[in-house]
Amino acid sequence: MIHNKIIYGNVTVLDLVVALIILVVSIGIAKGVVLYAKRLLKEKVDKGHLEIFGKVLYYAIIVTAALVVLPLVGVKPSGLLVAVGVVGLAIGFASQSIIGNLISGIFLIIGRPIKMGQSVNIEGTVGIVEDIRIMSTTLRTFEGLFIRIPKQKVFTTNITNYVANVARRVDYTIGIPYDADAQKAISLIKKLIEAEPFTLKNPEPVVYVDNLGDNSVNLLVRFWAPVSEWFTAKSKMLWRMKKALEGEGIEIPFPQRVLWFANELKGNLTGDSDSSQAAVKENGVS
Amino acid sequence: MFGTRDIPLELREGEISVSLRRDQDLLIYHRECLGDACDKQLVSRAKKILIAPTEPVTQPKAITPYLFIKFDKALLLEPASTARIYVTFPVEIGVFATGAGNPQLIDGFTLAEKKFTLYGDPSMGRICWYWSSRIHAAIPDVDELREGIMELTIQNMDTDWVEVKKAVFNAYGMKIFYGLGMVSMRSTMKLRPGDTAETSFETSPIKKGATRSVERYALKKISMATGKFVMEHGL
Repeated sequence: MIHNKIIYGNVTVLDLVVALIILVVSIGIAKGVVLYAKRLLKEKVDKGHLEIFGKVLYYAIIVTAALVVLPLVGVKPSGLLVAVGVVGLAIGFASQSIIGNLISGIFLIIGRPIKMGQSVNIEGTVGIVEDIRIMSTTLRTFEGLFIRIPKQKVFTTNITNYVANVARRVDYTIGIPYDADAQKAISLIKKLIEAEPFTLKNPEPVVYVDNLGDNSVNLLVRFWAPVSEWFTAKSKMLWRMKKALEGEGIEIPFPQRVLWFANELKGNLTGDSDSSQAAVKENGVS
Repeated sequence: MFGTRDIPLELREGEISVSLRRDQDLLIYHRECLGDACDKQLVSRAKKILIAPTEPVTQPKAITPYLFIKFDKALLLEPASTARIYVTFPVEIGVFATGAGNPQLIDGFTLAEKKFTLYGDPSMGRICWYWSSRIHAAIPDVDELREGIMELTIQNMDTDWVEVKKAVFNAYGMKIFYGLGMVSMRSTMKLRPGDTAETSFETSPIKKGATRSVERYALKKISMATGKFVMEHGL
């Protein structure tokens, strides 16, 4: 019988055919399982991670099937494992950074500190996460640049995720003159915060006199905004506060210094430039 | 204000004015409300439009499907008790084209004060549309263009007294009705042990004969949406 014909060692034609069938079936099963898993997890896992998970699952099934068929084709798995170990060691030394990136990538996929579409700061690079791959993460900076960061760097550095939480706080320090009514300014700022839809009712906004500065009484203003509206709220509220305070006669003071002269200035300092300059010359002040 | 209207339309009610006229193949839409205006052009063979209340969470921007109602005074419920109360909610008005296919929203606006809040903490909480309401024992008199009436049945399923100061609802489950002089909803709040509660909506109106409104959130086919909301961050 042809199927009992030995090709090499103890391997017959039948063994080869069975091995081939197992491999082909395993490929089909792998594709089916991956498709089913993707459908099942579509709503729960984001697209980037789902793709990676799909690939890992696919190759895991194929490799398992390959290990099953190896004895059929006359290869002892124990011997293969030793060979793979030696080769793996050599490759490992030769490609430490690649392995490092791969392992970092796996840990980051499990930890999920960032997701696609989020605004993040990775080691000083600020941008929107465009893609998360097993070996690297790509960002689109706000200037429109494409930046690829190796996973090992992402894993070992500090990551600031600006949109991980649903709300974010806005802080301002607003200086008012020493002779201004601080209570009136606080009340005015609180009314403006209350009138703006995107400044959250809870956590409650806070406005108080924080410190007595060199040139002004400094008010600390803190309110929260939905993270999607944080920048808009932050940028428009400060200007509104400035205009409202000015409208009530509370000017935002600029840095100023009072100079005391040892010798009293003589002459007319009414704003007449000629006489003022003459008075300054007379006192030897330049 | 609410109901189906013929085109051309020239409608003015209080601080709201809506007009819709045909210009050749185009429908020219104009709306004003509290100093805010909206102009749009439509390509539609529609002969009528629908003005109806919609889920009150999309103005000035649809950033959340949750409505947070803060009660002016705390409500204390004894163990295993049930209370039926009436609270108000903001009314949001939608203008829909009723041509081919599902009703298409042309415009949305509200006379109610717009404000958002956070329910829970910044990391695990939810951004919600904020509304404050008195608790009424009977159906209150309100301006139907500004405020709707929610009949809220609160069931205390705990073995202890429970204090309730707020309720959070999911717009995906809202069933809004209009007509008979009011905009209304009926909802249930089940208080569970551990300061948690589940809110959901009923499919029947407070008064028989009211018309069920278009559900904007139900129109979006989101299979994950259940319409219920579990309040895990306090009552």
